[in-house]
Amino acid sequence: MFRKVLIANRGEIAVRVIRTLREMGIGSIAVYSDPDRTSQHVRMADQAEHIGPAASAESYLSIEKVLLAARKHGAEAIHPGYGFLSENAEFAAACEDAGLVFIGPSSDSIRRMGSKTAARQTAIAAGAPVVPGTAHGVNLQEARAFAAQNGYPVLLKAVAGGGGKGMRRVDRDADLESALRDAASEAGRAFRNPEVYVERLIEQPRHIEIQLLGDQHGNMVFLGERECSLQRRHQKVMEECPSPLIAQHPEMRHAMGEAAIRAARAAGYYNAGTVEFLVDRDRRFYFLEMNTRLQVEHPVTELVTGLDLVKLQIEIAAGGRLPFSQEQVFLRGWAIECRIYAEDPYNNFLPYPGKLTRLTRPQGPGVRIDGCVYDGWTVPMEYDPLLAKMAVWAADREDATARSIRALGEYDVGGIRTNIGFFRQILEDPEFRAGNLHTGFIDEFFARNAAPQPPPGMSDVAALVAALHTMSRSASPEARPAASSSAWRESGRSGLLR
Amino acid sequence: MKFTLHRDGVDESIEILAPAPACRFRLGDSAERVADVEIPEPGVYSILLDGRVYDARVEEAATGLVVVIDGYRFETEVLDPRRYSRKDRARGGEGIQTVAAPMPGKVVRVLVAPGDSVAAGQGLLVVEAMKMQNEMKASRAGRVLTVTVKEGATVAPGEILATLE
Repeated sequence: MFRKVLIANRGEIAVRVIRTLREMGIGSIAVYSDPDRTSQHVRMADQAEHIGPAASAESYLSIEKVLLAARKHGAEAIHPGYGFLSENAEFAAACEDAGLVFIGPSSDSIRRMGSKTAARQTAIAAGAPVVPGTAHGVNLQEARAFAAQNGYPVLLKAVAGGGGKGMRRVDRDADLESALRDAASEAGRAFRNPEVYVERLIEQPRHIEIQLLGDQHGNMVFLGERECSLQRRHQKVMEECPSPLIAQHPEMRHAMGEAAIRAARAAGYYNAGTVEFLVDRDRRFYFLEMNTRLQVEHPVTELVTGLDLVKLQIEIAAGGRLPFSQEQVFLRGWAIECRIYAEDPYNNFLPYPGKLTRLTRPQGPGVRIDGCVYDGWTVPMEYDPLLAKMAVWAADREDATARSIRALGEYDVGGIRTNIGFFRQILEDPEFRAGNLHTGFIDEFFARNAAPQPPPGMSDVAALVAALHTMSRSASPEARPAASSSAWRESGRSGLLR
Repeated sequence: MKFTLHRDGVDESIEILAPAPACRFRLGDSAERVADVEIPEPGVYSILLDGRVYDARVEEAATGLVVVIDGYRFETEVLDPRRYSRKDRARGGEGIQTVAAPMPGKVVRVLVAPGDSVAAGQGLLVVEAMKMQNEMKASRAGRVLTVTVKEGATVAPGEILATLE
């Protein structure tokens, strides 16, 4: 087994990996950019190396700097997390060349599955159903020709994409040019590859994905599915395992699992990976893409299968065999994950960076938090505003929903806005409760619902607290709680009052 | 002690007749009420009122106090009789529309120049924060007066990016 592993990532996933490394008795090496010196992953690691300024291109996306840090600190393997370099075949190859183990699939598999268009070819060859689309990146003329032939609406997608970046729905020809320009620009920034391709758009699809795990000895299993239909801006915000649809139609699980394994085998895949499917209203499923890495939402699978996917990833990378067969995989109970973001759901999900002035995490039965924040930390504006993932486990969907609402009620983050209250509102929604999910669910939810209103009487309490707080503040200015305004401004203000 | 609270565009008064822990108060002209008040942590108020428990947290924001109870945010400006600090909320000239950065970020694209006519909803600038690109749009039709930032500029929340008339 490895003695030291470098984590080429930041945020909650770096913390997640460090936790398993520590349980396995393996040393952890963190890397960090300027604004991340005081981030949780650096504070938790055994060793840490500064790798550059805030801009990802010069730090977390720099293959050279990451490998330099790995050599300097004597790492034997690199865990890439998700995002950043995790699906970069060049990086995986550079690790292989440098004699470091890349904890993931081979660079060759990433190449065959990493780009969305290459993955489609692999899936087609393996006999998995795909959504009609172009085989390669397109220019405006080619996009226009595809739309003319297949009709609007169409979906533009980054060839190197993931997480909804560089993706645009286009409903009419007049919007195609600007949408293509924006998608290419966003893709270029996010993935250093501005290529965009076109697909027919499937209306109101569900997004259901299969978790795969394979070793380097030819064994591969699927670990159930995850329902990831709740999305905003094409990014998942809430996931569950199992899928409410597949719970009602369990024969789909085997069909999708087998299709996923066929596609992955065609790419010579090993380690953890996820095959994403779109499922239309007639329950037909289409191969969407393969994520050749650990997923953000892996905790729901861990809760329902009882496995530690990061530990299995590390064991497989070290040459180990899968310690169980498909027949030994059991799904037990229900898990729901909410991604806690620093953003304002009632203002277009606008990011809301800033300093956390308070933090209380939920506790009690069945609650798991994967986070990277602490009281007093400033959420940097340079990165994805994911603060934590709250996953709950319970016996069935109804109980898991109730438990999520209860736990979110205990979750308090001060100083910035988060989507915690929004999740509570969604979890109460009758359509959500009925399991009627699709990727446009959140947009429709906003059309049906206004922001939640406080119960009667609460407003009086708020008035009382505001008055009492003002009283105590003017009585003892030095005993005042940490204000979000600066000390300079405070000093200027009190100077004026003298 | 009597305070005027400004919330959601409405002024209301509250009088504190006795301080914590056995707090007596009166809202507006209504009857006097009694609340049990403890402060377990700075900025956190545990209130027992009318048979219910409330856990309230106070944040001091630039625009006043924000009281958070069970996830609900009550934004309140308190007019302290001893410390008059009400902010002047008056906005700029009637016909001039300012476009301000809603969050810290970086200007990645400027789509208009002074003198341009713009339609309602037309994109003016693209600001990137946390890897998300957000297009700042004109809220109504008009003419661009000024563009005060360049591509590549880092902007602070509230910073004016452009003005329209």
